[in-house]
Amino acid sequence: MSERPGIVILGTPRSGTTLLRRLLDAHPNIACPPETYVLSGAARFLHEESFAQGLKIGALFGLGYAGFEDTEVLARLRRFAFGFFEEHAAKAGKARWAEKTAFDAFHVPAIRRLCAGHVKFICLHRHGLDVAASLGELTDKTGGYVEELHRYVTRHPQPLEAFAHAWVDTASAIEDLAEQDDDALSIRYERLTEDPEAVLAEVLAFVDEPYDDGIVERALGSSEHVGFGDWKTYARAKVDTRSVARWKSLPAASQTMLAGVCNPTLERLGYDAVSTEEENDEDARRRYELGLLLGRLKKED
Amino acid sequence: MALTRDALIQYLEEKARVDLSQAEDDTELFSTGLVDSFAMVDLLVFLEKHTGTKMGPEDITLDNLDSVSRILAFAREQTA
Repeated sequence: MSERPGIVILGTPRSGTTLLRRLLDAHPNIACPPETYVLSGAARFLHEESFAQGLKIGALFGLGYAGFEDTEVLARLRRFAFGFFEEHAAKAGKARWAEKTAFDAFHVPAIRRLCAGHVKFICLHRHGLDVAASLGELTDKTGGYVEELHRYVTRHPQPLEAFAHAWVDTASAIEDLAEQDDDALSIRYERLTEDPEAVLAEVLAFVDEPYDDGIVERALGSSEHVGFGDWKTYARAKVDTRSVARWKSLPAASQTMLAGVCNPTLERLGYDAVSTEEENDEDARRRYELGLLLGRLKKED
Repeated sequence: MALTRDALIQYLEEKARVDLSQAEDDTELFSTGLVDSFAMVDLLVFLEKHTGTKMGPEDITLDNLDSVSRILAFAREQTA
């Protein structure tokens, strides 16, 4: 690895990755642009699948038949992808690049294959029920599902359940990387919002950069150019914990359903398992009736 | 089962995620947006369980539900 490797932020969408991006971008040595989708694009280049009788097809295998070694193809792809980040950092007058695109979380094995040994990974986790609820809010706002989420929605009829499964898969892949790669640091969104200075100091120490006083205020106060990423963080002037444990306001039945999907992964990541209250049929029916009643009263207002 | 102030506060803080640190018992909860309307159904279910009664359209009013003191008074009336 070179002396000042790139930094790749990985986290399930709606886990605070845009907040962390803005914080790192405020460091005088680090340039982290809004989401570029370059690494997930590179991951798609590396996509492979088993075909007839176990034969694998994909760019690496195809180019292999044309005489190109995997290491050569990966090196060329790495130079191509990293070249954009390096050029952006140079334009910003900074020595080092960082990259964050939330949907990279769905391509962790390929991104790891491309980047391992050449970057520092920052792995950001957030409570799975909060991620599922926030993904629900995101899709309500945008009116659709990106391809990575649509795969889950086609398998699970309840969107929240689909998002919970997406969180389990992505958070597990990210934590696998964090556990197996010495160049990876695992942090949690809840701690980042509770004590941003302390967590950022930990991150900067991990990537061998000095802490810079006032970086948090500078990050959120900047009127940087906009791009892809979380819309909420741009409206906030300070880091706060308003978005922590929002899942507790979900209906009990939803919490029970999500806990069944998320609890093993929550515990793996160091969160408490969500305790559940079983709602009997009569309670569920009454909740439905009250919801209808409330809806009718609202219309009459 | 009588609804105590402590039980109601605990419910609002933990389940409805209301920050009551700056609120008084007569602070308006719904009409000020301190509690969002999505939490209303859960609050109604919670109240029915604690009072042992079923609520009708005439019960679901801001007069009955818009502050801690109003909710407690309403719950007392229901269990009287």
